[in-house]
Amino acid sequence: MSNLIKKIMVYVDGTEQSVTAAQYAICLACSTDAEMFAHYVINTKAVEDLLKAKIFLQDEQVDYEHDMEADAERYLNYIDDLARQKGLPIAKKRSKGTIHQEIVNAVKEENIDLLVLGELSRIRSRRDEFYDEAERALRTAPCSVLIVKDEDRVWNIYDSLV
Amino acid sequence: MALIDLINKNIVKIPLVSTNKPAVLRELVQILKDADEIEDIDGVLNTVQEREYKQSTGLQDGIAVPHAKTVAVTSLKLALGIAPQGIDFDCLDGEPAKLFFLLVAPPDMSGPHVQALAEIAKLAQSKAFCRALAKADNAQEVVDLMKGE
Repeated sequence: MSNLIKKIMVYVDGTEQSVTAAQYAICLACSTDAEMFAHYVINTKAVEDLLKAKIFLQDEQVDYEHDMEADAERYLNYIDDLARQKGLPIAKKRSKGTIHQEIVNAVKEENIDLLVLGELSRIRSRRDEFYDEAERALRTAPCSVLIVKDEDRVWNIYDSLV
Repeated sequence: MALIDLINKNIVKIPLVSTNKPAVLRELVQILKDADEIEDIDGVLNTVQEREYKQSTGLQDGIAVPHAKTVAVTSLKLALGIAPQGIDFDCLDGEPAKLFFLLVAPPDMSGPHVQALAEIAKLAQSKAFCRALAKADNAQEVVDLMKGE
C-alpha cells in the first residue's frame, strides 16, 4: 500500500481551496510516505493577454508579475510551514506560463503519481470564455487527480495528524 | 476563483443612471456597497480612479474594464453595470461604453485577479455576446447569459 503513491503534487494558487488541498496532501503524504511537491504557477500568459487586450498597461504587467512572484513566495512558504508542522519536508516549485500547461509539465518532470487540486468552481458556465485552468489541468494531467472538498473535515484531519 | 463564481444578481445593475465617467465609476462601486461586498466606498473608489487617471480602461465595442488593487477589499469583487444609452468613458475607439466590468482585488490575490481579468478580456472578444448583454432587460437575464443558459 505504501508504494501505491510515491509522489504527490499539490497545485497552490493562494485560494482557500488550494490551502485545503495542501493540508489534505500533507496528511496523505504522511500516511503513505510519499514525497510531496507544492507548485505555484505565475500566470504570465494571462498577463500577456491583458496587455494585448489593452486592459493592462506596460507598468501593470511588471507590477502584477512582481505581485504574483511575491504571492508565489508567500503561499509556497505557507504550505511549507504547514508541512513542517507535521514533520514533512516538501519541495517547493514555481514556474511561469499558462497554468494548466505548467501543471502538466511539472507532473511529467517530477513523475508525479497523484495531483491534488482544490475544489473547483461549483457553478458551471456553458460559455467557452469561462474556463477553469484547474479543471483543464484535471482533464489533461497524465496522472491520477484528487479534488479536495469539505474544508472543515480536512482541517480536523490535518489538526489531528501527529 | 473563477469569474463565474463572482456573478450573481446582486452585483449587476441595469440600467446605470450615470451620464459621465466620474459618476459611473462611483455608481459601479456603489453596486458593491449595496450588495454588502465592500464597506469602504471611498477607499475602493480612490484606487479605481487612480488607475483610470493613468489611462482609460474603456476599450472598444462599448466595453470598459475599470480595475484596481486595493486593501479596502479582502477578496476578489466584481460589479457589472449596463448603460444601454452609452456613457462617454474615453474609450480607445472613441465610442461610448455600455458594458462595465468593475473588478477589484486585494494586493495579495494577484493570481486570481489576473485570471478574472483575462476571462473578461475573452468575453469582450465576443461581439455577439456583448451585444446580447447590452440588450438585457434585467439582472437575472445577465446572470443567465453569463452562465450560458
